[in-house]
Amino acid sequence: MHTEAPVRKAGGRLSREDQRRLGDILQRAYDDVVRQGVPDRFKNLLNELDDGPEGASARGPDDERRHNPEPDRLVEARGRDNPNKGSS
Amino acid sequence: MTMRPSVRDAMLAAVPSLRAFAISLCGNVDRADDLVQETLLRAMANIDSFQPGTNMSAWLFTILRNLFRSEYRKRRREVEDTDGSYAESLKSHPEQHSRVEFEEFRVALAKLPPDQREALILVGASGFSYEEAAAICDCAVGTIKSRVNRARTRLSDLLSIDGTDDFGPDHTTRAILSAGGRS
Repeated sequence: MHTEAPVRKAGGRLSREDQRRLGDILQRAYDDVVRQGVPDRFKNLLNELDDGPEGASARGPDDERRHNPEPDRLVEARGRDNPNKGSS
Repeated sequence: MTMRPSVRDAMLAAVPSLRAFAISLCGNVDRADDLVQETLLRAMANIDSFQPGTNMSAWLFTILRNLFRSEYRKRRREVEDTDGSYAESLKSHPEQHSRVEFEEFRVALAKLPPDQREALILVGASGFSYEEAAAICDCAVGTIKSRVNRARTRLSDLLSIDGTDDFGPDHTTRAILSAGGRS
């Protein structure tokens, strides 16, 4: 027999310690994905869109934004992830 | 369409956590990546509405979350079929020390109601403040706080009692709750 209803044993409040442990696991599971970085699929997508045909034909060749950074530069951006650390 | 390099870099920088958030929401890596892709496309199409100097990451999370919610409403039945694929999708990372615990944890996480899950992830893993999470989810700060609390309690319940099929409840509880005890 299987029921979805939560059967709470005692009160339903987690101790601070249990909260911390749950939080730890959550954070590690999340970071595990974050560490995979940026798959090529997304680098390519952003490059393609940035390189799109509209800009090139509609604008002159001296448009400063045609100087695209090399793809490698984009990888460095990963290190700057998570600018807003710090929950309350 | 051209973007300022700083905008594009900020988007790229946000991709890893967007993916982690998306995987937490939908429990399936392929669908999560599609969701991230759609988010980036949507963001670029609306880049004019992004206010320079504000938090790009929070803006993207908001878009992704809204896309997921509208998709979720459309495909509710499918979304509930995530338990297996969720654990499955993360099996390929042998560097994890306590993989069994993680998988149990992920299965439990997938069973949380979506609003609780997203609140817990945003605050507990993505590093957003309660205020930022409230803005992303378009609700009151107090609502986020209570969702996070309910998510924690529910997770604990699930890990304690919902082990009838594969795991002994006592074993599960002990494994999960002791896993964070180091450091």
